[in-house]
Amino acid sequence: MKKRGKGIAVSFYGTGYGNGFPDVSTATIRLEDEGKISISVGATEVGQGAKTVLSQIGSEVLGIEIEDIVLINEDTSKTPDSGTAAASRQTYNTGNAVKIAMESFRKKLFEESKELLGLNTSIGLETKNKEVYLKMFPQKKTTFKEIAQKLKKQKRRLEATESFTAQTTEMDPETGQGAPYWPYTFNCYGVEVEVDTETGKVDIIRALCAQDVGRAMNPTMIEGQIDGGFAMGAGYALFEDLGLKEGRIKNNKFSKYIIPTALDLPEIEKFIIEDPESTGPFGAKGIGEPVMIPVAPAILNAIYNAVGVRILELPATPEKILQAIKSYGKV
Amino acid sequence: MINIKLNVNGKDYDLEIEEDLRLIDLLRDRLGFTGTKEGCGEGECGACTVILEGKTVNSCLLLAIQAHGKEITTIEGIGKEDDLHPIQESFLENGAVQCGYCIPGMVLSAKALLDKNKNPTRKDIREAISGNLCRCTGYEKIVDSIEKASKILQQRGSESHEQL
Repeated sequence: MKKRGKGIAVSFYGTGYGNGFPDVSTATIRLEDEGKISISVGATEVGQGAKTVLSQIGSEVLGIEIEDIVLINEDTSKTPDSGTAAASRQTYNTGNAVKIAMESFRKKLFEESKELLGLNTSIGLETKNKEVYLKMFPQKKTTFKEIAQKLKKQKRRLEATESFTAQTTEMDPETGQGAPYWPYTFNCYGVEVEVDTETGKVDIIRALCAQDVGRAMNPTMIEGQIDGGFAMGAGYALFEDLGLKEGRIKNNKFSKYIIPTALDLPEIEKFIIEDPESTGPFGAKGIGEPVMIPVAPAILNAIYNAVGVRILELPATPEKILQAIKSYGKV
Repeated sequence: MINIKLNVNGKDYDLEIEEDLRLIDLLRDRLGFTGTKEGCGEGECGACTVILEGKTVNSCLLLAIQAHGKEITTIEGIGKEDDLHPIQESFLENGAVQCGYCIPGMVLSAKALLDKNKNPTRKDIREAISGNLCRCTGYEKIVDSIEKASKILQQRGSESHEQL
């Protein structure tokens, strides 16, 4: 017999290193010869979209197209340290560093523009389309390229380096109390499963994922992260088992260590919840790890709802589910 | 050593190879088609997928000799960087790529599907890429991309029909 059940789970997750550990990202912004703007950060791209998001943040501050940004990363001889691509921290931490460095760079750019345009002050200067212009008299303007050419003649470089340090406090070692992380990311997932009471097999037939993101920098990539997190969580809940025996991994190949295929997953309904974080770059927070967390508990709750058994050890394989159904004497 | 003839991405090759050379090694090491990725090396992950006579195969499981007299398409034969295939364009447009390692295989599985079935359902698409494992994307954006590419290809097909 096939039985259906629904389950939900909520989670909150502190991003960054936390617990008082210094969590620092540094970014360097430079005006390049042709008037392009380079961002140097030691942030690693592993497919999560750090390069895209950091370029977006930088281009937003200067009002330029993303194509006018040259992003230099993953080369420690050329970039400052921006910490690890871990702890779901790059968008928030390095994103903040890029934003602050770009704002600092813009001030310097305005000072150069002031000299070049023969102005009294840099007040009222703005940037758009790789131009610096006076808001009250837009004909008074220069271009990034002109500024770059002037600097090249003078053998000078225009650059700004700034760091961002996340605010974290250490927990009390005696009581374990405190506020170890900032910020936190929240989510709530719901799934519907169908459990075959004869074979113990679980099919996920519906999934709804609501994810708080602060501000959605790049909705398509956020959806991609949610999809991927759901797949990892589903594999963790139902299939994936290293099979450690005396310190050795028994399931050391894909024929034994089963990860979900496209056929094992339902269509995932995604809801991006925006509630800008005041300390985040344009309000954004990290979601890399959070998107994975509620999946397994939601699935296990749905299994309970379907067949009345609590699975307490992952993965919830057909054998374990059948065993649990038998010993509970239910269904 | 043994002589084989085969056609890769429209070009004929006449080669002398070791009898036990795998197809993936011929493609990558001898012919330089490094877009074909080796993942597990035992036919489970699909990263090394190529199209052989219209069908997808795991190039890590085939001996190069088995490709004698046959036509092979690798990712290099699908499109060039400045002239992408609609499937590749669609993958880029719709956020289908994260780390990218499975993507050449995914694109080839998609190509083999759309060559046979011009208007696949999402279930058909999931079936077609079920031999290609992906650890990053959860497959959904890849399914979206293949579905959208099928629409673009159908539209182009009907347009070129009208021109005739």
